[in-house]
Amino acid sequence: MAVTMTLDPIEQLNEDEKRKYIKGKKLGEGTYANVYLGHSRQDPSQLVAIKKIKVQQQYQDGMAPDAVRELKYLRELHHPNIISLLSVFSSKDQNLNLVLEYLPLGDLEMLIRDVDRVRYGAGDIKAWMGMLTRAVWFCHDNFVLHRDIKPNNLLIAADGEVKLADFGLARSFADPGRRMTANVITRWYRPPELLFGARHYGGAADIWSVGMVFAELIIRAPFLAGNTEVEQISLICKHIGTPTEDNWPGVTRLREYTVPSEVVPVWGKEAYMGRFGAVGADGVDLLVRTVALDPKKRITAREMLEHRWWRTDPKPTRKEDLPRKSGGGAEEKMGADLKRRNGILEDEANNSNSRGAKVARKLDFGQGK
Amino acid sequence: MATEDARYRQTSQYELWSFSPTQLADMREKTNAAARARIAERLSSLPALSNNTSTPASSVNTPDPDGASAPALPEFLTAAEEAQLVTFFTSELLRAGDHAEMTDEIKATAAAFFRRFYVTNSIMTYPPQEMLIVALFFGCKAEGSFVSISDFVKTFGKDNPEEVLAGEFLLCQGLRFAIDVKHPFRALRGALMELAALPDVDRARLGAAETRAREILRFSPLITDAYFHYTPSQIMLAALSLADRGLAERLITETFHHVTPPPDSGADTPSASGTDAPSSKKPTARSGEDKAQIIGCHLRDKVLGTIEACRDMLAKELPERREHWTNKAVIKAQITPLRKKLNKCRDPERWNLVELQRARRQQAAKKADSEDGDPDDRGEAGNSLQSDAAVFGDPLTASARDTKRRKVLSNGKGLDDPFGGPL
Repeated sequence: MAVTMTLDPIEQLNEDEKRKYIKGKKLGEGTYANVYLGHSRQDPSQLVAIKKIKVQQQYQDGMAPDAVRELKYLRELHHPNIISLLSVFSSKDQNLNLVLEYLPLGDLEMLIRDVDRVRYGAGDIKAWMGMLTRAVWFCHDNFVLHRDIKPNNLLIAADGEVKLADFGLARSFADPGRRMTANVITRWYRPPELLFGARHYGGAADIWSVGMVFAELIIRAPFLAGNTEVEQISLICKHIGTPTEDNWPGVTRLREYTVPSEVVPVWGKEAYMGRFGAVGADGVDLLVRTVALDPKKRITAREMLEHRWWRTDPKPTRKEDLPRKSGGGAEEKMGADLKRRNGILEDEANNSNSRGAKVARKLDFGQGK
Repeated sequence: MATEDARYRQTSQYELWSFSPTQLADMREKTNAAARARIAERLSSLPALSNNTSTPASSVNTPDPDGASAPALPEFLTAAEEAQLVTFFTSELLRAGDHAEMTDEIKATAAAFFRRFYVTNSIMTYPPQEMLIVALFFGCKAEGSFVSISDFVKTFGKDNPEEVLAGEFLLCQGLRFAIDVKHPFRALRGALMELAALPDVDRARLGAAETRAREILRFSPLITDAYFHYTPSQIMLAALSLADRGLAERLITETFHHVTPPPDSGADTPSASGTDAPSSKKPTARSGEDKAQIIGCHLRDKVLGTIEACRDMLAKELPERREHWTNKAVIKAQITPLRKKLNKCRDPERWNLVELQRARRQQAAKKADSEDGDPDDRGEAGNSLQSDAAVFGDPLTASARDTKRRKVLSNGKGLDDPFGGPL
């Protein structure tokens, strides 16, 4: 068989697409993907991030699920608060390259953690939460569940706009009655219904994660940081309340329902005021609604957008005026965020970012449906 | 908030894979012509092979005028013959999907993948029988069902996972990496719920209509070009209309209720008062002119016209035609001759997917061992400029090529057009 081959039209199209970009230095390297800085050949000032999906050794069944999901959803979702997929091409024939918009200012996690150098207030939180909520609303309105919302999946563009990234765990809303895997969403952001093994769930699962991000933005530390699923459930029971048939009809019938024997009544708004009062009573009201135990009673993304908190003072900060991370590292952070395997907090990253010894175990999400 | 229509226009299904009938026919002609030219070239550059394949067909040469001197070329399939074979193999695909007990969505997605792939790729270039299995495999993944490849091929009594895997990326590239397909199934459910909410509609009639319409959706739009020409809601309404015309028309009239029936009343004289319409059941309904725009009778007539056209298309391949495509006499008379023809004119360089993949990998490895590349990647940042040259071509010659390309692109949209120009 001839080794040099002429190109068919579709192959030519791919070559053309590939030639539009020049790949630069590597920003991050992971098991799932490598991320490179790149720029447009025509206009070198136009920077991009090129995420090159690796052919995975451990996945023998062709294109890996995360790549399929990411490609499927990013290709369709066009919104200012969702990372843009600018192009797709294959290199070396079988390697999938996703050309993503360049988001040079790191992620929300960096800002939350850098307590010494980054100061922010209620107006800033409101602006960030507004952008996050719009992104999630847009996903849900398009029948897409993200299933991995957390601060390091919220990247920041040069103009301060927050962009929801990493759709490697996303899926469409299932038809009623069809089962989904409960093994999604990074543990600290995982809602009680998934911790209890629910196989039918909806947008409310993402909303819980949004609530956890909200809380984390306020207290500048993960709100409920369990080391195991069991501990995660106890933390929820302790800080939010114990799920029972009274506050959540049907919960005891979930497959993996177990709660600590000491039942804690669901905390009211007042209980949150001390720790979360920085966002005001209206902000706390919104927060409490996002962490309703019963997913049916949890606020929806759309209702969140209609909440009065957005209209009360202080106004959300203009995105250009939002606090930024000083010093370097942001570009590398983007590289690290984009190459990360979804739903996983990588162990080796722990010494450099203050998550310290809280080593997260890998979630076995890949095989589930 | 953007309307549903505006949303739909942002989907890859609309952006990349919707065409007018003329456009589609045109593309198929082009694909066919390009494939003939390439295969002719490849056959004649492979003396041993071209002898093999062309001898039996030597008497019936193609109407290729200057091919006369070269070793006799096989007779090629015409675009129309290709289209007929694609349709036949779509029916095979659906049967295979039934056999494997796949969901309606998976089968429909796979069928759409298959037909899309063969708009820009000739059936003479890549083997349809293999590609339909590839389409089913990737259809499962695209619909969120990740099965192991060995289990998958076992379902079809095969043990050749390499072949399916070798075709996967090829398919994906042929789909231009757009892998979300919008279907009419949920729309049907929604339509029936809306009809059921009306005070005077008979339940039994609804049930019968739903069953029949669903049966149609499982076959007719998938085996025709309906997905290329119509939106999921149009396809749904056409299927419903075939099942029960009265119900479909009722639904349309109820939806575009802003001005009461007389179809001759001009589009620009809608009564703007929102109160004459029975309480707005459509959340899209706004006030005044907006309403007339969205749910006025002008639009209703337009919609009715489109549904009618789609209905005609589906009517050509009603579910009863499943038997037509498996009927031995039909196959013998119409399909077998084409397949025989196909066996003689297929692309010697592309037909074997496993070989093709191996050759490509060889080529890639040779071309760019210093590339960013593989899992065993150890290139440093310092190397990357060199590597770029390797991947993207030599920078000096590239710039020359670039100017040429820019010319080509200048009528298109270049970088602003994220996924390249039209096919």
